[in-house]
Amino acid sequence: MFDRIFLSIVKKEFLHVVRDWQTLVIIIVMPVLMLLLFGYAITLEMRQITIALVDHSRSPESRAFLERIRASDFFEVAAVNVPEAQFERLFQERRSRCILVIPHDFARSLEQDAETDIQLLIDASDPNAANYIQKYLMQVSTGYDAARNPSFTMPLRLEPRLLYNPDLRSEYFFVPGLIAVIILLISALLTSIAIVREKEVGTMEQILVSPAHPVQIILGKVVPFIVLGFVDSVLILVIGHFWFGVPIHGSVVFLGLSLILYIFTGLSFGLLISTVANTQRLAMMATLLATILPTIMLSGFIFPIPSMPVVFQYVSRIVPATHFLRIIRGIMLKGSGVRDLVTPITYLLVLSIVLITVSVRKFNTRLE
Amino acid sequence: MQRLLYIIQKEFRQIARERVFLLVIFIMPFIQIVVLGFAITTDIRNVSMAIIDYDRSSMSRRITDAFRVTGSFRYRGVLSTEREVARRMNRDEIKLALVIPRHLERDVKRGASPAVQVLVDGVDGNTAGVALAYANRIVQDLQREWLREAGTGAGELRNIHLTEVETRMVYNPALESTNNIVPGILAMLLMTITSFLTGMSIVREKEIGTLEQLMVTPVRSTELILGKVIPLLVVAFVLLNIGILAAGLIFGLWMKGSLITLYLLSILFSMSSLGLGVFASTLANTQQQAMFVTWFFTIFSILLSGFFIPIENMPRVVQVITYLNPVRYFMVVIREIYLKGTGLDLLWKEALAMTIFGLVMFVSATVRFQKRLG
Repeated sequence: MFDRIFLSIVKKEFLHVVRDWQTLVIIIVMPVLMLLLFGYAITLEMRQITIALVDHSRSPESRAFLERIRASDFFEVAAVNVPEAQFERLFQERRSRCILVIPHDFARSLEQDAETDIQLLIDASDPNAANYIQKYLMQVSTGYDAARNPSFTMPLRLEPRLLYNPDLRSEYFFVPGLIAVIILLISALLTSIAIVREKEVGTMEQILVSPAHPVQIILGKVVPFIVLGFVDSVLILVIGHFWFGVPIHGSVVFLGLSLILYIFTGLSFGLLISTVANTQRLAMMATLLATILPTIMLSGFIFPIPSMPVVFQYVSRIVPATHFLRIIRGIMLKGSGVRDLVTPITYLLVLSIVLITVSVRKFNTRLE
Repeated sequence: MQRLLYIIQKEFRQIARERVFLLVIFIMPFIQIVVLGFAITTDIRNVSMAIIDYDRSSMSRRITDAFRVTGSFRYRGVLSTEREVARRMNRDEIKLALVIPRHLERDVKRGASPAVQVLVDGVDGNTAGVALAYANRIVQDLQREWLREAGTGAGELRNIHLTEVETRMVYNPALESTNNIVPGILAMLLMTITSFLTGMSIVREKEIGTLEQLMVTPVRSTELILGKVIPLLVVAFVLLNIGILAAGLIFGLWMKGSLITLYLLSILFSMSSLGLGVFASTLANTQQQAMFVTWFFTIFSILLSGFFIPIENMPRVVQVITYLNPVRYFMVVIREIYLKGTGLDLLWKEALAMTIFGLVMFVSATVRFQKRLG
């Protein structure tokens, strides 16, 4: 099985990969760039929110309230005292994300009523942003109330304690996730295309008349991608750990082993697709649809699974990345051990074995 | 002109011949819109939580009840120790836990303002932050209720005056994230189809060796490129319409603005993504390379387009880079037309930017292609 013929196939495949240096550069550079981008650019927390302030009260009280908004880091005042007829245009020109209107009787109402309304209009076409804006302005209002009513305290306090990631840094979340995405990209996509390519160019027949066994051919094709996938994930881990300071609380050996397991799962997907597809573009589209899209969107890489509709929550359980994300985030951030992660590991193991068996069988029958 | 028509005809035949591929490109918009539209929710719901109740008073029961009834949290029951909380969090079974201290009710009545601890799994920072905000709001509402019950007639309370922010969410009152995401998916769809397919269909001829055969015919390379691009533009246009229909039928999201404006701006935008495809074909010798080059640019241009991360949130340097990204402009355009019905008079800046990018990218890519061949 693993004789000289196999070794020479592996060598040939390595040469193929190395000779195609443009692809190699992309494979190495892309994850690093993505990591930097995710690390620095991606945060859903809003900053520099453009706001328009409309003060109908023009009293010391209302000025004190607006002063709190001006002083906060979150807001950037884009317009002042716009007439109501211009509100729509303000949103359509995208000059301002929200408009705060203080009513005429603000000062009087503050003296007499228990609750005084302040109107807030938010351009909610981005609902996430709208939520943050509302949250920040409620904080402003609470702070203002506390300053005006110094003797008043709420009956009880909530005291948050953030576990595993006390500063809520997004790198902690994205670095492990990115590894899951990149590995799948390389293992599934490259494998499927590499095999289909030989079919399309016509060299597959040439290999098949050689004394090598089909299983040897497939495995030989796969080995360089295992190595590449592993190198890439180690690269991301090193940068994530030493540059972005993402901790690795659990065992490094355990982490390495689970990486290899996951690479196998990706490869087995790629193999399966390559037995079905006959052209590279079909293979690419199929991989994109069947593996990459669900991996990025349905695995909990960015978007939390519990917020999805129930059907998609079930779909997400089939996606291998969902399970791998639990493993890698568990090991890195929570220091989980094998015992905490038995279920996802078993799932990945069973899935890869089934897929590899199916695709090797199919590959054999298609050849005869 | 005649030659151009022949090439277009040939391309259409080639596309039509590959049945499975055709199926895949036409199913793609549906799957993308359904999967992405449902999956990309920036709103946080059903956060699994548990409560440790050391007090077991009527007050602690009211807190528990308040968390049980909201849709933001999914109540997973009472736990007895912090250790159990840690174990559950390690297994990802709960994301948040409330620890109600002993003598809570007594301390509240004494006015000692006791602390209720909230343990939050911080791995997903965004979810953690939002869940914490939800918890805060629930507890605050509850306390206002208590104050009202306890304070009727109490002299001290009459001196308390609070401001209340009354919010109106314009354009998207229910805060549905699909309203924001679905137009974005349409933009993404247009971009990926045009750039990927263009690059790969040109390089395919190189790889199989038929490009040389085409070169010895009297066809000019400009005609060749146009012949390649026009059929794909037609396919992309059809797909865009399928996407618009799917968005309407599945999510009930129809555009408020003008369809003609959207068509016009889509064509302007397609020039840049087609240019990207041609450019990739000059860099690549194999379809695999072509795919990777386009993939590389596509990912970055989508991430930096404001699709799901607002551009204002990014560091200044990155914000400057986004001005060089044609998708950024199209993302604004398609959302404005869909959600606000903004007209061309307020979108001309974006249209201008896309025209310039489109012309520059398409022409320079074509020139590069000609040089490579000559």
